[in-house]
Amino acid sequence: MSKTKKVDIVVVGSGPGGYAAAFRAADLGKKVLMIDKDEQLGGVCLNRGCIPSKALLHISKVVAEASSLSSAGVSFSEPKIEIETVREYKNKIVSKLSSGISQLAKVRNVEILCGEASFLSNTELDVKSDKGQISILFKKCIIAAGSSSSMIPGLPAGHPSILTSRTALELEGIPKTLLVVGGGVIGLELGQVYASLGSEVSVVEFLPALVPGADEDIVKPLKRKLSKQFKSIMLSSRVVDVVPNEEGGLGVVIESGGENKELTFDKILVSVGRRPNTPQLNLESTDIKTSEDKFIIVDEYQRTSVDNIFAIGDIAGNPMLAHKATHEGKVAAEVASGHPAAMDARAIPSVVYTHPEIAWVGLTESEAKSNNIPYEKGEFPWAASGKAMILDAQQGKTKVLFDPETKQVLGAAIVGPSAGDLISEACLAIEMGSDADDIGLTIHPHPTLGETFAAAVEMYTGTITDLYIPPKRGK
Amino acid sequence: MIKEIRLPDLGEGIDSAVVSEIPLGTGDPVAKDDVLLVLESDKASMEIPSDHTGKIIDVLVSEGDDISTNDLLFKIEAVDSGPTQEAPNENLEASKEPDPKPDPKPDPKPKELKVNDSVFASPGVRRLSRELEIDLNFIKGTGAKGRITKDDLHGYIRIRMQGGSSGLRLPRKTIDFSQWGDTETLKLTKVNKITGQRLQESWQDIPHVTQHNVADITELDGYRKKLKEEAAKTGKKVTFLPFLMKAVVLVLKEMPRFNSSLDEKQENLIIKNYFHIGVAVDTPSGLMVPCVKDVDKKTILELSEELVDISQRARDKKLKPDELKGSSFTISSLGGIGGTGFSPIVNPPEVAILGVSKSEWKPIYNKESKEFVPRYMLPFSLSYDHRVVDGASGAAFVERVSAVLCDMGLFKD
Repeated sequence: MSKTKKVDIVVVGSGPGGYAAAFRAADLGKKVLMIDKDEQLGGVCLNRGCIPSKALLHISKVVAEASSLSSAGVSFSEPKIEIETVREYKNKIVSKLSSGISQLAKVRNVEILCGEASFLSNTELDVKSDKGQISILFKKCIIAAGSSSSMIPGLPAGHPSILTSRTALELEGIPKTLLVVGGGVIGLELGQVYASLGSEVSVVEFLPALVPGADEDIVKPLKRKLSKQFKSIMLSSRVVDVVPNEEGGLGVVIESGGENKELTFDKILVSVGRRPNTPQLNLESTDIKTSEDKFIIVDEYQRTSVDNIFAIGDIAGNPMLAHKATHEGKVAAEVASGHPAAMDARAIPSVVYTHPEIAWVGLTESEAKSNNIPYEKGEFPWAASGKAMILDAQQGKTKVLFDPETKQVLGAAIVGPSAGDLISEACLAIEMGSDADDIGLTIHPHPTLGETFAAAVEMYTGTITDLYIPPKRGK
Repeated sequence: MIKEIRLPDLGEGIDSAVVSEIPLGTGDPVAKDDVLLVLESDKASMEIPSDHTGKIIDVLVSEGDDISTNDLLFKIEAVDSGPTQEAPNENLEASKEPDPKPDPKPDPKPKELKVNDSVFASPGVRRLSRELEIDLNFIKGTGAKGRITKDDLHGYIRIRMQGGSSGLRLPRKTIDFSQWGDTETLKLTKVNKITGQRLQESWQDIPHVTQHNVADITELDGYRKKLKEEAAKTGKKVTFLPFLMKAVVLVLKEMPRFNSSLDEKQENLIIKNYFHIGVAVDTPSGLMVPCVKDVDKKTILELSEELVDISQRARDKKLKPDELKGSSFTISSLGGIGGTGFSPIVNPPEVAILGVSKSEWKPIYNKESKEFVPRYMLPFSLSYDHRVVDGASGAAFVERVSAVLCDMGLFKD
């Protein structure tokens, strides 16, 4: 005989979207239950994604910066890497943040249930928990069950030398040679982590460019850096076959330009994208509709085809980003609590936390070109920035796209250290409908990387003084 | 099957109406197309027919109610399957245990408020607009470059609560007039309110100038009387207004700026090549301006007939909404009542209006015979939008109308 529980709102998943939804709904006076299959709250982002990867990237950044100081007359000895301590440092950050979430749940009286949830109907969930089988009768449900790494079909599944982002972040040793399959955000970030920890890293990407989605000129400085840091970057290439060898390594056949070549690696990291965790939820017992690629279909209120069930974050569609999930989680919680919220954000920023960092928001140039969207742009090369020179970041660049008529900001892209922090100003500009003058006439502190945003705008308005623009464009 | 009858979209510009009659009651049988409700809207009355055959099981409105599009009016136990939506299934909670806590407010319906990318407003203002259920597309921003600010939203609400739709009005103080004597309170009709609001908008938005003139209509009036006698034999009437309409249209053709509208950005003038004349009609519920279409293509007799019909139906509130739209110039005639002259208010989006007062016999000095002769003189005035028409054109227009009314040949078609 299973137990039954009744709640106002049940949230499935405790990632950045799930806990935001649960906490917001609780703050709006709802009785909330949050279910996660993991004892440690926070989802992929906190436990196996954003946070641990950024902790490790911080290490690799400091290592790189320390070594670059030699040109400034300061030299350090080769870094000594104690992998156990590195892992502890990372785990400590993760567990501290995770227990922070538990604390926040407690003070809000959000009940936590550890177990695997699947639907029984449009109003009932079945949870297999450590406390046995529990059935949850809910008025509203917010699905925030996230996504998992996609696997390449045909790979020897479960082989200890084949890593996903999850196992790669567990940091079980540093392989001598590592093949990263997939040159997107996750692959490049983790590739760079392993490279600075001492691995010899190669990347294979199916598309002809790294970081698909970002403009080529913005990716270029990163590509230049990586081609020095990595052993090889194979574009327009794919893994055809993987054969485990006797030494525990892997023989990999890679097809590139119609030719096959066989290489040997200690480990492979598969980072070819993520897929929504819809299959686990038994959505067949509900009237929830999913798209062809298994995302749950939602409207601007994050509502699924079933009125009382909402979906947010990775499972509700691309882009799969924590900050998007958080925003959607709050919208869902507010709508589910009877408030007239809606997802009407005009832009969602994307960041690649490599060195140099890449960030973009809103319209990209390649998108504008392929959709015939008229735009004008202002670009500021960091070679003209004092602060960038101090940081040895002259290869950086800030680019802003404008509506030719209204001069409002349509998009922005930045490459260079702290690009992810710098892009926020562009996000605000887009949300506020700021135009070139609004930004150009705002005083930015000097010397900072932040002033490159204003400088890029002034390159467009023709009011820049840090560079010389030939008269035809000046006014 | 129980069907819900909701107020359908009544068409352009009409978003609410007052229930003036409910012919059927709870328990009454109803057939498809039977009249369920009679409504008095801004300017016309209309009937709401049933989409179903069946029995009325609930009447959710009463006479005098002000109802809006999509309001629930009736529940009908239908025996057919008409086109309206089914009543939603009872909430899932109802079949289960009582809710732990009921929702404070009903949920918003999906897709009701549109996310609009073109609106120039910050995220905070966009959120507030959803909470207040205000479509930002209807608000003119007062911030820099037309940004919609929170103050704009609050201002809009204040005006809406006073029954207006645009312009800025501060709330008025309540004055107790009974302290000075006996008073009684008369409720403004829907028509009164609408006209009041439009007149105020026109008066505030349009820089008005009025030109006065007189026309010698001695001959024309004689001709009209002759026509009238002839028409009377077949039971028809010939009034003076059709002559005025014809004269005005003739001058409008010569001076097309008077038959135009400014576009919404006030950057272009839209000249109309049609001649639909609005005619101000005094009715028991207030001022109405039905429109007589294609005046240039109709004869005096046809116009006379149409005017009799349209003004009668205006008084009976039987005009269709379409008959109140589309005029390109308006004539307001008070000739039948009296007065020596007045300044009419332009009927937007038109740019000019002709006001007509009472004709009188006047001694007019004849230079040739060197004596005063009795002439039948029509006083009239033209108010115009000074952004579109300059003073010289205004003067020329009234002169030309005067000349045309003197020239009999133009009317004997």
